[in-house]
Amino acid sequence: MAQANTVDLSLIEEILDEYASVPGSLITILQKTQEVYGYLPMDAIYRISERTGNSPAKIMGVATFYAQFRLQPIGKYLIYLCKGTACHVNNSDLIGATIEQELGITNGETTEDGLFTLEHVACLGCCSLAPVMMINGEAYGSLTPQKTIQILQDYRKKEASA
Amino acid sequence: MDSIKITIDDNELTARKGQTILEIARRNGINIPTLCHDERVKPYGACGICVVEAKGSAKLLRACSTKASDGMVIHTDTDRVKQARKVAMELIMSDHVGDCRGPCTINCPAHTDCQSYVHEIAQGNFQEAVKIIRDRIPLPSCVGRICPHPCEDACRRNLVDEPVSICALKRFASDTDYDSEHSYVPPVAPDTGKKVCVIGAGVSGITVAYFLRQNGHKIDVLDAMPKNGGMFRYGIPNYRLPKDVLEQEINVLRYMGVSFHNNVCVGKDVTLDELRKKYDAVVVAIGAWKDQPLRCKGTDLDGVIGGCEFLEQIGLGKRPEIGKNVAIVGGGNTAMDACRSAVRLGAENVYIIYRRTREEMPAEDDEITEAMEEGVQFKFLYNPVELSGENGKLTTMKVQKMRLGEPDESGRRRPIPLENEYTDIQVDTVIGALGHTLRPEGFEQLEMTDKGTIEAGLHSFRTSLDGVFAVGEATNKGATIAIDAIAQAGQAVDQIDAYLYGGTSFYKEPYYSEKKVSESDLADRPKIPRHPVQKRDRTLAKSDFQEVNYRYTKEDAMAEAKRCLECGCFDYGHCTLIKRANEMPIHPERFAGSQHPSYKEQELVCIERDQGKCILCGLCVRICDEVAKKGILGLVGRGFPTVVKPEFRDPAVIAGCKDCQLCFDACPTGALKLLVPEKEK
Amino acid sequence: MKLVVGEGSCGIAAGAAKVYDALEQAIGEKDIHLGITGCIGMCFLEPIVDVYDDNGELGARLVKVNPAQAGRIVDAVSSGDLSSIQKLMIKDEDKTFLDKQTRIVLRHCGKIDPTSIDDYLDDDGFQALGAVLDHMQPEEVIDEIKTSGLSGRGGAGFPTWFKWNAARHAPGDEKYLICNADEGDPGAFMDRAVLESDPFSLIEGMIIGAYAIGCKDAFVYVRAEYPLAIKRLENALKIAEERNYLGDHILGSDFSCHIHIKAGAGAFVCGEETALIASLEGERGMPRLKPPFPAESGYNGKPSNINNVETFANVAWIIHNGGKEFAKLGTEGSKGTKVFALSGKIRRGGLVEVTMGKTLREVIFDIGGGIRDGKEFKAVQLGGPSGGCIPASRLDTIIDYKALQATGAIMGSGGMVVMDESTCMVNTAKFFLEFTSKESCGKCVPCRLGTKRLLEILTRICAGEGKEGDVELLEELCNAVKDGALCGLGQTAPNPVLTTIHYFRDEYDAHIRDKSCPAKQCADLVTYRIDPEKCTGCTACSLRCPVKAIHGVAKSPFEIEQSLCIKCGSCYNNCHFGAITRE
Repeated sequence: MAQANTVDLSLIEEILDEYASVPGSLITILQKTQEVYGYLPMDAIYRISERTGNSPAKIMGVATFYAQFRLQPIGKYLIYLCKGTACHVNNSDLIGATIEQELGITNGETTEDGLFTLEHVACLGCCSLAPVMMINGEAYGSLTPQKTIQILQDYRKKEASA
Repeated sequence: MDSIKITIDDNELTARKGQTILEIARRNGINIPTLCHDERVKPYGACGICVVEAKGSAKLLRACSTKASDGMVIHTDTDRVKQARKVAMELIMSDHVGDCRGPCTINCPAHTDCQSYVHEIAQGNFQEAVKIIRDRIPLPSCVGRICPHPCEDACRRNLVDEPVSICALKRFASDTDYDSEHSYVPPVAPDTGKKVCVIGAGVSGITVAYFLRQNGHKIDVLDAMPKNGGMFRYGIPNYRLPKDVLEQEINVLRYMGVSFHNNVCVGKDVTLDELRKKYDAVVVAIGAWKDQPLRCKGTDLDGVIGGCEFLEQIGLGKRPEIGKNVAIVGGGNTAMDACRSAVRLGAENVYIIYRRTREEMPAEDDEITEAMEEGVQFKFLYNPVELSGENGKLTTMKVQKMRLGEPDESGRRRPIPLENEYTDIQVDTVIGALGHTLRPEGFEQLEMTDKGTIEAGLHSFRTSLDGVFAVGEATNKGATIAIDAIAQAGQAVDQIDAYLYGGTSFYKEPYYSEKKVSESDLADRPKIPRHPVQKRDRTLAKSDFQEVNYRYTKEDAMAEAKRCLECGCFDYGHCTLIKRANEMPIHPERFAGSQHPSYKEQELVCIERDQGKCILCGLCVRICDEVAKKGILGLVGRGFPTVVKPEFRDPAVIAGCKDCQLCFDACPTGALKLLVPEKEK
Repeated sequence: MKLVVGEGSCGIAAGAAKVYDALEQAIGEKDIHLGITGCIGMCFLEPIVDVYDDNGELGARLVKVNPAQAGRIVDAVSSGDLSSIQKLMIKDEDKTFLDKQTRIVLRHCGKIDPTSIDDYLDDDGFQALGAVLDHMQPEEVIDEIKTSGLSGRGGAGFPTWFKWNAARHAPGDEKYLICNADEGDPGAFMDRAVLESDPFSLIEGMIIGAYAIGCKDAFVYVRAEYPLAIKRLENALKIAEERNYLGDHILGSDFSCHIHIKAGAGAFVCGEETALIASLEGERGMPRLKPPFPAESGYNGKPSNINNVETFANVAWIIHNGGKEFAKLGTEGSKGTKVFALSGKIRRGGLVEVTMGKTLREVIFDIGGGIRDGKEFKAVQLGGPSGGCIPASRLDTIIDYKALQATGAIMGSGGMVVMDESTCMVNTAKFFLEFTSKESCGKCVPCRLGTKRLLEILTRICAGEGKEGDVELLEELCNAVKDGALCGLGQTAPNPVLTTIHYFRDEYDAHIRDKSCPAKQCADLVTYRIDPEKCTGCTACSLRCPVKAIHGVAKSPFEIEQSLCIKCGSCYNNCHFGAITRE
């Protein structure tokens, strides 16, 4: 409830107007809510509960079941590190270690400057380019430690110049 | 109405279409175990315990949810089914973090429900406490005085400060109850017409008689000595266990209808065969009364006596002539009883000669301390090598200095003699307290072990003669502590009882869930020192055989009892989980691994939730959703880390939750505990 | 002339979008068309640019193109003389990758523009749907599918016609058709390729299916990790509806059908049909007890039919060419083709579609070109977390549901990950159990706790803390989980463990008894050292060490700080002097 006063709940009213009364739309509502805030603030969950009639316990159950949902804010750049089989066989652990070393965060964490969040994902489906990572929807394949560091530094530079 | 035919375990049954296998089985008295199933909610299929095998189906079926189809052939008890249930149960228990019973109960050989009686004492319900104690222990006032209390060794309060004084509390409750107007006498079942003869009125024999009598059998107890109690009377001195207390306890058995016959010596006055003919079963509980001889020269001298023999003399009311200088050889409780008795008989120099150090002494620590306080001189690391005397009368004991080497089979460090280091001690009497064994006379027909004890089945307690059982110190491994003898005798009762009805009972050590707890887990518990038991003035105490330790006052007892951490589970008696677990031969330790954190939360309005005990069967969540229609409880997370969490914000939700108790009611284990009295049903 | 850039996710990840932009700029006002297509499946050659002549014939295929080459390409193409870009053209040996395939599911992939319905129509698109609505009864459609022998491509291989038939005959007017596009197997991307490269084919197959079972509303459940697939599918649905191939009174008939997209939210278990339905309903994706099967009571308690993307992608072809044509392909028990996502230590990785009955050897060696970097083949993993590892001795196993099942693996949805000598099989089993235990929904005990305990035992074996008897314990637990788990995820989760124990028991024993990892992969059992005699101080290893564990002064021997070393092998693989030892 720490963010109780910081979330503008009016931002999701439109979403709720469209979906609140459509049965089975809870996941869609949560996805769209997360698009708005970048995560699922507790107050938004209570608001969704009020509008949809689902109990908060049920919404929490759904929100914590799926890997996509987050209850905490994330960094500006969300790094998905692929942990698929092909990536594993092609030493994605090494890429993971490189990112951790470079950014000083582990799986699920966000850098102190709020720039990067690292998340391991099951498979990005770019197996032929293994090892792969995806940053804000853009995939990077055939990674080596050097290439990984370069990519991350490019993002940093972009931020610094912006 | 459509009816179908289905075969379950070779029973051809007719059922309604749409019924589940479980419903049909239950309706026809066929047992299929379940855990996460509750008729009030939809089948869920989480636990995997209700699986059955269907002919022609490659998969095991969940009986709770599978609807029977016509012609189905089901087996509920195949090896494959049993294996699946067993592993499922092992997995569940591997992540069920909690104590079924307190460590005190588990460590008590008789599994006395210490936590419950301590709780009753704390509440001031002393007779309730006695009822709980007497469920396991026939002589609570005696045991409450002399038990080496393995319960206290295991007491988790050791990790906070000192153990709860469980043993003294037992004595307090029992003594207090004897003082009351209507002291408790266990109920006796109607007469069965069966007759059992118990040979020996010691702890083992009395225990067997006590429980068999409660089952309604006629019991005759024979004893060779003039009075009853065995070692309690003739082995333990009065200052530790007053004989009037013992007599009072034995009287309870008399009230129950047990007949005692003293001065009857089997082999002389009556033969074992005669008893076998006269009774439906015979129980040999003759104890171990023969002292092990000292292993040195000169033991035939006048003034050399065995520890048991010495204590027996005292028990018979005699005051043996022991002179001024007395040495007792040995380090066990008999040695302590002997040395402190010697002090009371007026000896000026009383020595304990022990070949190891205090660390290795098998005697109780309190006993050693008290003996030291009474002036007994301990000569550690000495071993007698020769006794000598004048005119056949002992005068000198030559002892050799020892040192400790590597540990032996018993785990204690082996004493090694040091060459040429001898000392002479002037002695009038040497008492050998090196252990004791049975006198086999009269029981030669029975097969004996290599140790010269009676061979009895470890769990069947049967001897080589049909209808003859043997228990206690006279059997197998030999001498042990009283509570062990009580535990064994209690187990033997089930076997004897089954035998009387022509059957056999299989003993199975109960499976308990146990939690690993460390000091840091209990760091938040306030430290409350143990309430000491008042003792008789030391100087006075050593001058006669009057009892040394006093009973707790009521206030002290209740305060002491309140120190209990209540480790054991409140739900033990009703827990479906542990009931199921004990229906299978499980070994969850095979799958030991990460566990849910064990914490308690009181977020639910009237219920405390123990996360460690939750087995994620989902019953609370489902009943809250489907029956109470409240949806307050939810599952949070996915996979192994999933937990159950309530979600409150709206005061109306909190009000709606209050006093419903359906979740508590549905929980198959002790994960949910009521914080308010159970609702009137 | 026309230039077409392959823009599947893989192609884009390899830089295809940048190539496109560069080409666009280079073309400027020139009379060269520029277009995109989906994924041809030759991921190892991405980015790919195809050059079509004015007759629409493929003139040249340029591979591994980078944006800097755009100008040269445009110049060559506009001059009509391609000799200057000869070096960019696909090599003959790589052409065999496509030559040995039979493409039904992937028939349009990499050929048409997935955003253009006209491209699809030009390639026989919606002809099957037209025929169905024009003159076929739903029963006839089901019969045609029955004749074809098509079975579910999601893994289980259940006959498609049977499911359709059951749903058709289930009582009730409200029925649902669901396309399972929750392709969650790590190592599988066939469905993504179809969604991205040929969404209309999926739509056509689904409408035919909806017509056959009699349903008006259909769903595509797509995993959220496939943003491009969702975008292309959304676009295709919109166009199809505009052009009346979807929606009310399709092609003027009495039949109406709407298709809705539901994005998954990241849960592998939602590939299991009852969990998928729970998720569609907005619930936690926890499997439900079967029976009742979805055909009786599925989405919202109504009869529902679920097929996966690849299954639907076959449907239009079957109707158009006839079930008999389809049934000519394949083996007795497995008809048609199967798409595999070939990856791992393979030379030519990508999407492969072959007729059933081909051997694994043909797929891996003839099409995939065998193991790269001159290493030895060790095993191929089929079926992802539900499948198993097949060793070299079984390479002649044919692609057939039963034949593959006999090896202990399964056909699965089509993930085919090739492993070489540097892959530890115990570690592989551990990898899959990490996956399944993380993805277990947590409902049933055998899966929630069984996979967790399997993982813990495998972890301790890989850490060199295995005990004698651990393999037997694994086997016992595996069998119990198979027998006791509620859904397919749990029931098949032990397969990677059981197959690796079966074929690679010696590796388990080496970990347990000798505390060694023969493949030198398990970090706790491997130590890297620098031989000071051989080290020249070239700094190559130090520069490449991701954790900066290698220290030294240039031109004198370096040293590895063992406490920092993560045993990644980067130094070992990059040392030119053989100075790094691995024990």
